[in-house]
Amino acid sequence: MTATDTIVATSAISAHGVARAFGSVQAVADATLEVRPGTVTALIGPNGCGKTTLMLMLAGLLRPDAGEIRVAGADPRHDSAAVRAAIGWMPDQLGSWDNLTCLQTLTLMGRGYRLHKHEARERGVGLLGMVHLSEFADRPTRVLSRGQKQRLSLARALMNDPQVLLLDEPANGLDPRSRIELRTLVRELAADGKAVLVSSHVLAELDEMVDDAIFMSKGRTLGDEAAAKVADAKRRYRVATLDDAALREVLAEGGVPFDDEPSGVVVRVGSEEEAFQALAWLMSRGVKVHRFGPAGSALEQTYMSMEEERR
Amino acid sequence: MTLVDQNPAPAEAPEPAPASSARPAIRGNPWLPTPRGVWLVTGIELRRRRPTVKGWIFYGLLVAVILGLGILVAMVSPEGLTSIPLEMVLVLVLGAGMLIAPSLAATSINGDSSEGVLAPLQMTRLTAGDLALGKLLSSWLIAFFVLLTIAPLMVYAFVRSGWHGDELAIVLAAILLVVLTSTAIGLAWSSLAARAVASVSLAHLTTGFLLLGTLLTFVFTQPLVSETVTDSSRYVDYEALTDEQRAAYDSWDWSEVDPATLPCTTDTDPWEYGVAHTERTAWIVLANPVVMIGEMSPIVSYETWEEDGRAAPGLFAEMHASVSGWRIGPSEADLAGQQWDECAMLVADVNGEDYYGGSGGDWEAEQEERSTYDRAPWIGLGVQGVLLLGSIWIVVARLRVPYKKLRQGSRVA
Repeated sequence: MTATDTIVATSAISAHGVARAFGSVQAVADATLEVRPGTVTALIGPNGCGKTTLMLMLAGLLRPDAGEIRVAGADPRHDSAAVRAAIGWMPDQLGSWDNLTCLQTLTLMGRGYRLHKHEARERGVGLLGMVHLSEFADRPTRVLSRGQKQRLSLARALMNDPQVLLLDEPANGLDPRSRIELRTLVRELAADGKAVLVSSHVLAELDEMVDDAIFMSKGRTLGDEAAAKVADAKRRYRVATLDDAALREVLAEGGVPFDDEPSGVVVRVGSEEEAFQALAWLMSRGVKVHRFGPAGSALEQTYMSMEEERR
Repeated sequence: MTLVDQNPAPAEAPEPAPASSARPAIRGNPWLPTPRGVWLVTGIELRRRRPTVKGWIFYGLLVAVILGLGILVAMVSPEGLTSIPLEMVLVLVLGAGMLIAPSLAATSINGDSSEGVLAPLQMTRLTAGDLALGKLLSSWLIAFFVLLTIAPLMVYAFVRSGWHGDELAIVLAAILLVVLTSTAIGLAWSSLAARAVASVSLAHLTTGFLLLGTLLTFVFTQPLVSETVTDSSRYVDYEALTDEQRAAYDSWDWSEVDPATLPCTTDTDPWEYGVAHTERTAWIVLANPVVMIGEMSPIVSYETWEEDGRAAPGLFAEMHASVSGWRIGPSEADLAGQQWDECAMLVADVNGEDYYGGSGGDWEAEQEERSTYDRAPWIGLGVQGVLLLGSIWIVVARLRVPYKKLRQGSRVA
């Protein structure tokens, strides 16, 4: 590893105080985030909170009004071409040259990245196999369904073997099987050392996939506060019993704090080991537990608990 | 993360990207076009516009109609040289090119952007210059194919036109330049306007202004450069005639009366009118692309065309003569005002001489001067060059990422 590699290794994407306005609309007011190589980071927020704008700035397509961005060690303001070359960007808008075949599309994109014709073609064939579109290789992209176009778009984003992947709503329109495959693929890409930033509304989906999450609201990234909420949400375990009154009594006696929610009682445990001990303790006290487990998606809980997000 | 284990077997990852030696590191944010990039974008655009089967059938029918028309014209047209068919074909090529290419170009940036296929290309190593020139070239090439379609007709028309090969080549080059410029203007509008409808209309309006607007401006600015001249014509003072003279004047019998003795008068309240110094505004007309093409066409003399082996002056030669007349402007005699002299005319008539009016102009000599006046395509070429380069500059500036500004009401994609 050379010196530059180590700098890159600390943070593949870093953004500090990034802002961008369109006319009088402040799309992104203050965004700060770090994405390390080999990790998957989620970018979560309601519609119109500035996720796509932030991704465009990270991708080197849009100039920020303020703030500092480094992608793969380069500043998009000065070395924008290097930034773009290091990035695989999957836009939220599905667009394809509907007259061209899938393989032609990928080959031409590859040549745009200065690959030789045969290299671009080989890589296109490989990527089509990876996103399960091989049977469509020689068919025009206009015959693809929404989900298939989404997969083609992902393959297109991988044509230049990027160090950094920006996936804007990649799971939109995908069938359940494709979603699971996408999740596996994203994990594999991260395991290869790529830094992945992914935005999505399907939060349960992200739970399985991401190492880190960044919440955004009204153009601002919510830093430690949201991270604390996620950490807290991860500790929440829901206890379902045949007799909730007895459970509350036992917990109150034992001095265990709990949340009494309409859907049941929620306790906090620090680890899986602690969860085991808590369950054993409840059993030993004769509580008729029939279900005991994490209280749903941590990201979803955090998202829903952010009062200011409500629109 | 137990769920991960239940996932289907992961698909084979693609082969690692080829050696990085193929992709040297980049610094800065290059925008200059590269031959390789321009060619790639042109190829992409042409592939995207590749006609469907229906399109090819339509094209085939069009070629058949054009060939049929050519054969028909060849059969019914009289013997001898005529440049009219060639000029018609050239006008057709220009018209078709100026309609088709800008229409294609005018949807090619904002259309791509709303389809979401522009930004992925901007993410690659292709520069703004590559995209701009590639899109320009591909739209222009389609107009060039139209030219090739009409080529058989043109060959026939050329053989009979009395033009020389190099003259046709120059005029064709000028036509292709005008089409290229219109294409670039369409592309520039496409990069400025958010909607395809707006950019197509604006592109055609710009073309329309160059074609008709220049002529109208020329006409409407004439009062601004007009000089008022007085009609100082003389005529026989009928009231002052003696009975004898009046009888002679009425019967046109000059055996008794010497016409030189008739009393002459000028109007006490002479008519005044404007003579436009068109030589000052002729440049407006010269900026017109069609006039420019006419100025690039061969000069055909009104007097010596037969000896020169030419056809009789055709459309372009007539246009050149008119434009030259405007460039020369009014003669001194024109500026002196009407000087029709009835008395002098009478004397000349009786003596069996010709009378050329007060201005003494020689109409044939003027015609000849106009028809063989020097060609002036430079203003038109300059306008075309400036518009072409200016449009390309706008397109490149608008395609450069990271964007500073977006088209009103549009998204990046």
